[in-house]
Amino acid sequence: MRSNRKRESLRFGNVAKSLITCLSIAAIGVGYVWQKNQIYRLGDEIKKRETALTATEKRNTMLAAQLAQLKSPVYLEARCQQANLGLVAPKETQTIRLLEPGPEWDARFLPAVQPAAQKTAKPAKPATKVVASR
Amino acid sequence: MKPLTHRHRALLVVTGLSLAFTALACRLVELHVFRHTELSREAAANREQVVHQQGRRGEIRDCNGNLLANSQSVRIVAADPSITTSNAPAIARQLAPWLKMDEPVLVARLTGPGKYVRLKLKVDEDTVAQIKALKIKGLVFEDQFLRTYPNGPLASHVIGFVDVDNKGVQGIEAGLDKYLSGVAGYEIIERDRKGREIRANRDEEIGPRDGLNVVLTVDQVIQHIAEVELEKAMAEFHPQAGVIIVSRPKTGEILAMSCRPTFDPNNPGAFPADARRNRCVSDVAEPGSTFKIVVCSGALNDGVVTLADRFDCEHGAWSFAGRILHDSHPYGVLSVEEILFHSSNIGAAKIGVTKLGAARLYDYIRAYGFGHKTGIDLPGEVSGIAHPLAKWNPLSISRIPMGHEIAATPLQMMMAMNAIANGGHLMKPVIVKSVMDENNLAVAKFQPQDVRQPITLRASLLMATALRRVASPEGTAPKAAVKGYDVAGKTGTAEKIENGQYVKKYYSSFIGYLPAADPEISILVSLDNPVGGAYYGGSVAGPVFRGVAEKVTQYLAIPPQFPDADDKKVAKL
Repeated sequence: MRSNRKRESLRFGNVAKSLITCLSIAAIGVGYVWQKNQIYRLGDEIKKRETALTATEKRNTMLAAQLAQLKSPVYLEARCQQANLGLVAPKETQTIRLLEPGPEWDARFLPAVQPAAQKTAKPAKPATKVVASR
Repeated sequence: MKPLTHRHRALLVVTGLSLAFTALACRLVELHVFRHTELSREAAANREQVVHQQGRRGEIRDCNGNLLANSQSVRIVAADPSITTSNAPAIARQLAPWLKMDEPVLVARLTGPGKYVRLKLKVDEDTVAQIKALKIKGLVFEDQFLRTYPNGPLASHVIGFVDVDNKGVQGIEAGLDKYLSGVAGYEIIERDRKGREIRANRDEEIGPRDGLNVVLTVDQVIQHIAEVELEKAMAEFHPQAGVIIVSRPKTGEILAMSCRPTFDPNNPGAFPADARRNRCVSDVAEPGSTFKIVVCSGALNDGVVTLADRFDCEHGAWSFAGRILHDSHPYGVLSVEEILFHSSNIGAAKIGVTKLGAARLYDYIRAYGFGHKTGIDLPGEVSGIAHPLAKWNPLSISRIPMGHEIAATPLQMMMAMNAIANGGHLMKPVIVKSVMDENNLAVAKFQPQDVRQPITLRASLLMATALRRVASPEGTAPKAAVKGYDVAGKTGTAEKIENGQYVKKYYSSFIGYLPAADPEISILVSLDNPVGGAYYGGSVAGPVFRGVAEKVTQYLAIPPQFPDADDKKVAKL
């Protein structure tokens, strides 16, 4: 009886081991196939995006050329004439020129700025700071 | 015969099977071991494909970033005649309207020998999509870049054009080809049964590198102004050719360079070679009176004359070395200043002969850069003709001061005038501002370059004093005067030489700069053989100069020295 039981458990153990091994091998196989499938699917996705990127780049280049054409002086001049807008360049007296900070600005405005700064309660700031604050 | 026993039959089957399996094993060993390399290569060749990718050619932009040239993706439509031959007439009928080709031509190509024939180049994406929808077997679509110039002929001589292989042929396209052309890449891919790429099996991938972008000093608005004014001059005076150059004297930057006849770089083959030549750098001519600036500035620089020194201009005819030299108008005694603004040939010749001398004149000719290329980044530049002193004849010293016996390009003359405008400093002409990568980072910057100082600041200021009077009512170019601005310049009217003889055809030119006290721009106008009566530089090129200067000063917001009185009244009201 005892030996029979022993033989039965041994047989069950072997079957279980075999089953686990088989299942493991099957799982590895299925996992491998699944992973491969994922790789191909991802590859396809990348390819689609690459194609879309290329198409967008091509379109951008085409639009850049179109934009350049629309911004060209030849085109704008023709459009102005077509629309009969009567645009003319401003006269000198209609132009206000702002002086850029620099030696010319310093020479013209710095003497006026320095005394004004000295009148304030605080000690007079160095000239360079006045220049920097304008 | 004794029948085979069960045992024998079994033995026979086993023997047969053993032999079959042995043969199979031998074959497998042969295929997998002995022919492995060859067969694996063949298998890879069937499965894999090397796809070459062209690098996009860089863009050309103006100084404000406006696009002047770029490359657009188009397609080449090709066919495999081994597939299309059987059904060629039907395919040709379907393709002809899309490819805008004649059916017989298409049939001939579709039935040709080999496995590859190009049907049409430069087919746009939309047309390709329509053709693909026809689902014609045996057609192949390849990528190609098409160089486009959105502004058409604007600045065509500066930009140049490319050949069918996208290689620069002329202008900046050729001069900076090494920066503009991209580097091709490739990838080894696998395709499935339907011809689609299996992205996951991509083997090697080396992407193409796009070309660098070139930024010019040219301003497309100023270029347009120059083109319009030159076109007007061509319509009015009907010259054979014309040139306008606008530059900044202080830096040598070229803001505009326009030539007539011109061409459209989008279709350069439709224009004659003559129209494609950049005359500003590749054509030489005797400059005529504009060259008087060299002898006069040289003499002032050496201190051998002052502006007030007087010369007898012999009332229009002076005999020297057995030949008579004429003035266009007879003058008596003129000061150096008057010689310049009246443009007296005899006066200029006498300064050369009696004061400066041949050796010093030659020194100044070389110092101003004549006989040398300026070094601008444009191909096809010539050095002009400045004979060495040893080759001068006895007449040369009287002829060269008035711009004969010497040949210069318009650009050389412009740079010489710029040197006078720039306190005596001769600058190298700059037409390329920078080279940028795709992230707009500068790869190379082209800074202004001071070549040398042919004359001192004092001499240049003295010259400016005299040249200011050229555009005054008493000078040779009152029509070049620009309202509100102090203009300095010099006219030139040079007789053309045909078959070794001077003929009654002229190069009319004017080179000037403004504001004279602090020059912001300089402009050269030169017309080759104007017809219809007027041919003097002051009457023909002077008004063109004024037309360009008025618009450019306004565009660049250069403050006038003499604001208009009428305008002030309007402003007060």
